[in-house]
Formats: sequence, structure tokens, C-alpha cells
Amino acid sequence: MSLTDVLTTLTDQSILPPEQSSKIAEFEEKKPFSLHWELRAMLFVGILLLSSGLGLLVYDNFDQIGHGALLAAMAAGCGVCFFFAWRYRPTWSMEKTVSRSTFGDYALLLACLLFLTLEGYAQYAYHVFGERYGLVTLLPAALFIPLAYRFDHRGVLGMALTALISWVGVSVRPLELYVKTNFFDRSTVFSAIILALVLIGGALLFEQRRLKPHFTETYLAIAGNLLLVALLGGLFNFVGLRLWFALGLLGVCVVFDRYARRRKSFLFLLMSTVHGYIGVTYLVFHYLLDGFLGGSGLDYWYFILTGILLVAYLLRQLPKRNLTHESL
Amino acid sequence: MVQQADVWHQQRLLTDAQLDRVRQAFPFDFGQTNGFIEVGLFLFTIVVIMSCYLLPASLITGLLDNSGTSALFNMGFGIVTGLIGRVLIKRRQLYRNGVDNAFVLMQTGFLAFGFNQLLPTNMPLGTYCLLSLPLLLLVLWYYGDTLIAFIAVATFYTFIFDSMLQFSWGKTSLPFVMMAVSGLLYLLARRMDRSPYYADPLNLVEWLALIVLAASGNYYVVREVNGLIFNVSIRQLARGMAPEIALPGLFWLLTILIPAAYLQQGLTRKNRMLIILGGLGLIAAVMTLQKYVLLLPLNVALTVGGLALIGIAVAAIWFLRQQTATDRGSGNMGNGFTDEPDYESPNEFFINMGTAAAMQVAVKAPHESKDDVRFGNGSFGGGGSEGNY
Repeated sequence: MSLTDVLTTLTDQSILPPEQSSKIAEFEEKKPFSLHWELRAMLFVGILLLSSGLGLLVYDNFDQIGHGALLAAMAAGCGVCFFFAWRYRPTWSMEKTVSRSTFGDYALLLACLLFLTLEGYAQYAYHVFGERYGLVTLLPAALFIPLAYRFDHRGVLGMALTALISWVGVSVRPLELYVKTNFFDRSTVFSAIILALVLIGGALLFEQRRLKPHFTETYLAIAGNLLLVALLGGLFNFVGLRLWFALGLLGVCVVFDRYARRRKSFLFLLMSTVHGYIGVTYLVFHYLLDGFLGGSGLDYWYFILTGILLVAYLLRQLPKRNLTHESL
Repeated sequence: MVQQADVWHQQRLLTDAQLDRVRQAFPFDFGQTNGFIEVGLFLFTIVVIMSCYLLPASLITGLLDNSGTSALFNMGFGIVTGLIGRVLIKRRQLYRNGVDNAFVLMQTGFLAFGFNQLLPTNMPLGTYCLLSLPLLLLVLWYYGDTLIAFIAVATFYTFIFDSMLQFSWGKTSLPFVMMAVSGLLYLLARRMDRSPYYADPLNLVEWLALIVLAASGNYYVVREVNGLIFNVSIRQLARGMAPEIALPGLFWLLTILIPAAYLQQGLTRKNRMLIILGGLGLIAAVMTLQKYVLLLPLNVALTVGGLALIGIAVAAIWFLRQQTATDRGSGNMGNGFTDEPDYESPNEFFINMGTAAAMQVAVKAPHESKDDVRFGNGSFGGGGSEGNY
């Protein structure tokens, strides 16, 4: 339905006097067209391209002439970006703030990405951190978390949390060069669970103290996913502790579910439902349908019944809408 | 309607009392579902329907072995799904909240599948597509479902593509036919009924038609697709270059002109879709140029491209800011563009995607440093790789 249609209808129903209607039409006509998000997206993609391009450039020209100059240029760029972001930093506050320059947030993002490349390169070429691979990922995390708080930047916070998560993966298995969170390994699973609990606890504590409360969702989304996946990993792989992982998963799902319903943030509702369902389905199939009920043909019935239950449950969670429906 | 009134209210064009009257007059409220719950509902509804399908299929042995009974069973199941879906949608007032989307998708899928099983097996792909199209269009007309719109457009293009290959002159004229058909499809979609019920699917059709139109004129696409359909030897394709096409000059021109025209039209008509596609098309044109003419190494191309994008974006933002400042002083409306965010902005979603993308890059960076791989032959996928986090 076009704007003119809306206006005509409103005028016809004498909600709007005609003069006001024509005024609105004129406003809509002359209103400037916003390119805000298009330009931001372009800037953002440009930053991602530039930082990955520079990253490749440095490694490709390893041990070649001019590569020192390249590094110096990147370090200078990183410094300039940090300086720019700092110069236009928002005034510190516990609440949500914005940089005083349009480009402040983007400069900070570019600076952090360049820092990661430089740091990784320093380790690659000069073994600055020696064999202590954990430090390589812990250092950015330790740097980015304060930056995220000072500049109020959720992207940098996300990068910091990712670095922390890979730090857990690395420091548990220091010789594994890939940071593949390996959930066959008992200590990885437990470290992941502990880290996730610490992060969630910290986020809730900060929220209670009103320190950047809008960061809570970022924390919960990342740490919550880590926690649920780690619990599932434990449930699948460690037969001896299966009961405890199952109870843990159940508890976490219930807590997330209640949190989601209280806050009306349905991402967490979906997370707890899907992860919980995977866990339950695994247990049911492992112990019942492949166990003493094997071959009974109840598998499909299980999916039908549980599916209907879940659909009904999710439908009940939909935000209440107006009950006076028109027919479609 | 209510949403639009809300926006005007925020801009102080409507008074509180008027907004209340709008709300009373139009009590139906669409914006109240939630994306995350929709995803969950859609998934679980599919699980239920698939299990309901597999249950009898596995109980009655041989049901799916014979193509005749199998076709009847599939179509019957599709009809039953459709009927149950109708009852549920009516009774629970479901409107685009995942459950009904899943029902529509599954019923159409089973019907189309069963129907195609009844057809003789030796027809070209395009004919199957053509024969399935009426069913898809019927469902689209009845339910106005966006996913079905996508499938219908894809089926339509497959039909055109495959049928053109049947003729001797079809292969060479394929790009022109695709362009013409896309242009017609776009014009058709624009002239269609613009009630809110069909707004989403028609928008999607416009996007797809414009994308195919630009792609069919793009030198890279034409050359590589030609390489595929003319059965060039695999070895030559593996070297990364399909053979030169006829009329290269024309296609180079189209590669640049079509997106440029989009952008120009978008800016004059203030059409967001055309502006975005024009911008993306120009980026694609530059990438095409890089692939065949400039031949820079990937790292340099990424760096220069990134710098160029940042430069253009910064310059444009800076220019618009300056201009808004002077406009405020002089009181005129300027050239009609602004950098201020407006109500159409996809705030939350965009910010979330941004965070995810930043994390994706951040995760990659430290790994690559330790992993002893030298790059250089990666595929050109740059910034859009945030999907797999």
C-alpha cells in the first residue's frame, strides 16, 4: 500500500482533515532520502576488505624488500585510527554513549583489526610470545574489553569475547595450533563451561550495577551459545558424566527460557528450545528408541508429538496481539 | 497502516488523538510476531509434517517404490497438509508466523513432487518447470507467501534457461533473452496490485528480476556460463578462463552500464532497491574488470578495493553532513539526500550482522598467523563471509 493510499483512506474516514493530509503528502515528497545505512554498510565492508587485504599482503611479502615499510605503514595506520577514535571518544558514562565523530566507531574497529594482524604477524615472524600461544589470544581480549567499555563498541566487545573463547581452547591444548574447540576433550568442555558461566555472571553483575547494561545481550548471546554447545558436547561424549550434563542442560535451558520470557528477548527462547530439544532427542533415542523400545516404530511418533508440543509452546510465547482480527 | 501512522506521529505530523483514532479504525496489527520465534515455529512444523509423511510411508512397504502409487500418495499428502493448514490458519489466526509458512511450503512441495512423478520421465527439465509453474502461481496468489515467490521465480528462470538451450540459436541469444525477460518481469511486478498482502513477495520478485537482469549483462557471468553450456573442456575451465565470447565489447559496456543506470535511476527516483543494487553491481563490475583486465594479485586488490570503498563512503558521509549543516542555515532542502538515519533503517539486525562479521574476521586473523599457510589463491569472497559463525 502506498503512502498516498494510506492518506486517502485516513482522509476518507475523516480521521485527517484534508489540509493536514496534503501537508503530510508534501512533507513525504520533499523529505530528504536517507543514505545512512547504505553508506555505513559500505564503510564497514571497506574496512573488512582493507584489513584482510593488508593481512594477506604482509604474509605474501614475507622476507621481501619493502615489507618493513608495509609493516610500518600498518602500525602507523593502526596508531592513527586509535588516536582518531580517542580524540573523538565519547564522554565516559555508565549508560549508552556514542562517539563524537561519525567515524569514531569505525576507526576503532579498523584499529583493532589492524592490531590483530600486527600482533599475529609479530608472533609469526619473531616469536614474540614464544611457545605461550595462550598469550597471543589473551592479549587482544585483555586489550579489547576495556576498549569496548570505554568507547561503547559492541563489535569490539564481540571480538574480545571471541578471543577469550579461543584462549580457553588454546591454553587447554597449547600444541594444537588451530583453535578448534574440541569437545571430545574433557578439560576443554569444563573450561568452556566455566568461562561461559563467568562471562554470564559478570554480565549480570555489571547489569545490576548499571555498567553498560546494553552489553548484557551480547554477552549472553555469545557465552550462552558456548555454554549450551559445551553442555551438549559433554552430553554426547562423556558417558560417565551424562546425567550431570543432562541436568545442567535442563537447568540452563529453564533459566534461559525464563529470562527470555521476562525480557521478551526471543533469541534466548529459541536458543534454549533448540539446544534442549537436541539434548532430549539424543537421550530418548539413545536410551529408549534404540534401547529397549528398539524397532517399535515409535520414532516418527516421537517427532510428531514433540514437534506439536513445541509448536504449541512457541505459539503461546508470541507477543500478545490485538484480539479483534479482521478476516484475511 | 498503523505503522505508517506511528511513523508520522513520531515525526509530529499526527496528534496523539489522531493516532488513537487510527488504531481504533484499523485494529489489525501485523508487526507483532518475532523473527526468532518464527524460525523456531517454522523448523518444528517442518519436523512434524515430515514425520507425519514418513510414518505411513515406512509402515506400508512398497508405497514409494511404484511411481504411480507414490505420486498419488505424495499428492494426497500434499492436499491433506493443505487442508489441515487451512483449518489451523483460520482457527488460530496464523499470519506469516512460521507455522503457516511451513504448511504452505510443504503442501506445495508434496503436490509438485507428486505431480511431476506422474509426468513422463523423458522430458527436458524446462518442461517440468513450465508445468509446475501454474501450481506455484496459484499458491502464490492464494497465500502471498514470500518463499513460494522465490521458488516460483527460480522455476520460471530455470524454464527459460533450459528451454533456450534446446534451440540451436538459443545458446548465443541466451543473455539477451534473460535480460529482456527480467526487464519484463520487473515491470510486471511494479504494476501489480500493491496491497500489503502481496508487498513482500512482489518486492522479492523485483529484487530477483533486477539481479538477473544485471547478471545476464555481466561479462564475467556471460563468459563463464557460455564456457559451461558450450561444453568447453574441463581442463581449459580449470585454468580459470572460459574462452572469449562473441561481442565482448557490448558485454563490457553492459557490465558497467546496467548498474550505472540502476544507480542513476535510483538516485533520481529515490528508490532504495535500485541504489543498493546499482552500488553492488558497480562493485561486481570492478571485480569483473579485475578478473580479466587488471589482474592484480588478490591481496593488492582487496587492499585497494577496501581503501576505495572506505574513501567513497567517508567522502559521501562527510559531504552529506556538510551539506545538511549549510542547508539548515539557508533553509532549503538541498539535493534531497541526507545522512541522518530514518525509520526504514534495519537497526538491530544490521548491528548484529556487523558484530558477527567483525568477530568472524577477528577469529580468522590470529589463526592465520600461526597456521603456516601462504595465501594467494583463495577465492574472492571478501567481506561477505559472516554466515558461518
